[in-house]
Amino acid sequence: MSDWSQVTRPIPVPNEWTQPFWDAARQGVLALQRCQACGHFQHPPYPTCATCVATDLRFEPVRGHGAIYAYTIMYHAGDRRFASAIPYASIVVELDDAPGALLAGNLLEAPYTEAKVGRRVEVIFERLNDDITLPQFRLAGDAR
Amino acid sequence: MWEHRCKVAVSGVGFSRATRSAETPLAAHAREAVRDAVEDSGLALSDIDGLATYPELPATGHAVVDGITIVSVNCMMAMLKLPNLSWQVQVDTVNIGGAVQQAINALLAGVCRYAVVWRAMHNPRGTYQNLPGTYAHGASQFTAPYGFGGPGQGMAVAYTRWLERHHQNREKMATLAVTQRRHAHMNPHAYFHKVPLTREDYLASRMVAYPFCLYDCDIPVQGAVAIVLTTAERARDLRPRPAYVAGYGQRLAFEVAGRIGSLSDYMEGGRSSSRLTWERSGFTPKEVDVAQIYDGFSASVIYGLESYGFCKEGEALDFIQDGRIELTGELPLNTFGGSLSTGRIHGLWHIIEGALQASGRAGERQVADVNVSFVGASAPVVQGTTFIFVREPY
Repeated sequence: MSDWSQVTRPIPVPNEWTQPFWDAARQGVLALQRCQACGHFQHPPYPTCATCVATDLRFEPVRGHGAIYAYTIMYHAGDRRFASAIPYASIVVELDDAPGALLAGNLLEAPYTEAKVGRRVEVIFERLNDDITLPQFRLAGDAR
Repeated sequence: MWEHRCKVAVSGVGFSRATRSAETPLAAHAREAVRDAVEDSGLALSDIDGLATYPELPATGHAVVDGITIVSVNCMMAMLKLPNLSWQVQVDTVNIGGAVQQAINALLAGVCRYAVVWRAMHNPRGTYQNLPGTYAHGASQFTAPYGFGGPGQGMAVAYTRWLERHHQNREKMATLAVTQRRHAHMNPHAYFHKVPLTREDYLASRMVAYPFCLYDCDIPVQGAVAIVLTTAERARDLRPRPAYVAGYGQRLAFEVAGRIGSLSDYMEGGRSSSRLTWERSGFTPKEVDVAQIYDGFSASVIYGLESYGFCKEGEALDFIQDGRIELTGELPLNTFGGSLSTGRIHGLWHIIEGALQASGRAGERQVADVNVSFVGASAPVVQGTTFIFVREPY
């Protein structure tokens, strides 16, 4: 199991597009940008809908259940701040509620060898400071 | 078909010494490569009236210093003081292939006669790819906190998606690394010239970012390469046999910035670029005699082979087996050794080899009876450009 206790993560800096995502995460809610014209969810946030190019986009809560879309196991301690966690799983998750929106995360509370494409995961929240709480993921028991 | 096909050609090519570390300033490497290319054409520097480059430093977390970590057009103008310079450009979006395409356009427009394009790459001291510092801005706010650093990891996640979705085995990639290394033994400019690599070496090498082991990553070097482009009529009067530009394309699709791990982003990028190159040149993948496909990370070759149409999706690791990509195979691939064996100087090396193969100047590694020579000059994602060079204008 990767030891994350010694890891210092770069802290996200919200901007005009991303602030609502981080405001929701601070409350323990996963909220993604949704096109009000076609209903498509997308992540990361963008000024137009990636599907229909409409501009009426709002953040809506989604349930934090999904599957690992892709992953990598990091062995190279390029950045010493992550050295204690190596090897660790950096994963990309596609949520059931938001097909096509891809969220990065780490696979926490499980050995990195558990990372596989299609494996069910659920969101958990990792507080970095008063302003920023990171969505993260752990294995989920649910079958879709 | 493109009305301007075969009206511009690659003439001379040039190389600096490639070293593992930055022993001499990068500007000296770039200058050496440019002078070498001009000399190869049999021209004098005073003949050169066009300059183009893509100067980006792909290493992250390092200072950008002109002449040391990049070589801009300004830097080259100051170093060469070309008396007849009439056109220059520095591109930003489609890597070095974009600079080559701009030079082709300038020659077609008649605003210069002999253009030089160079790519100079710096290998910084310390770690090549660094995460942002204390804070992660922009697209990296959604990736860096999770330890996603450089492009290698971005490509690694797409590669696991590809491998597991298609029930494939990463060990098959050994064939690419080993075949390209054999090709590099016939390329005296390659960093790993005459340094053997076996299948066993590949399978035993350490993991960097699974599924990428050490030999799935190109070797960072300090070096530069350059080419001279001119109109077809002028090229015929120069020393080297011309490699005619039959067509080119660039990536025209882009998914949301920072959307990591998307396999479709690679595939759409490659498809949009190559479709233009096939249409403009009038050729199809089956007619290609030799191919150079960008291999900064090995998986880029998979996305290239599939999105350009050389094989079906999910089949690239089988396609490269059984000698198919060797010099005598059905599709000789990365015949100069690729970035994996020559060193990380981005896609101008691939363009150079594509041109050398088309003009019959590839020496010991020349593929027999080449007419149609294909190049995918950078990873299909974000920066993809494609080219076809031919021996016989049509």
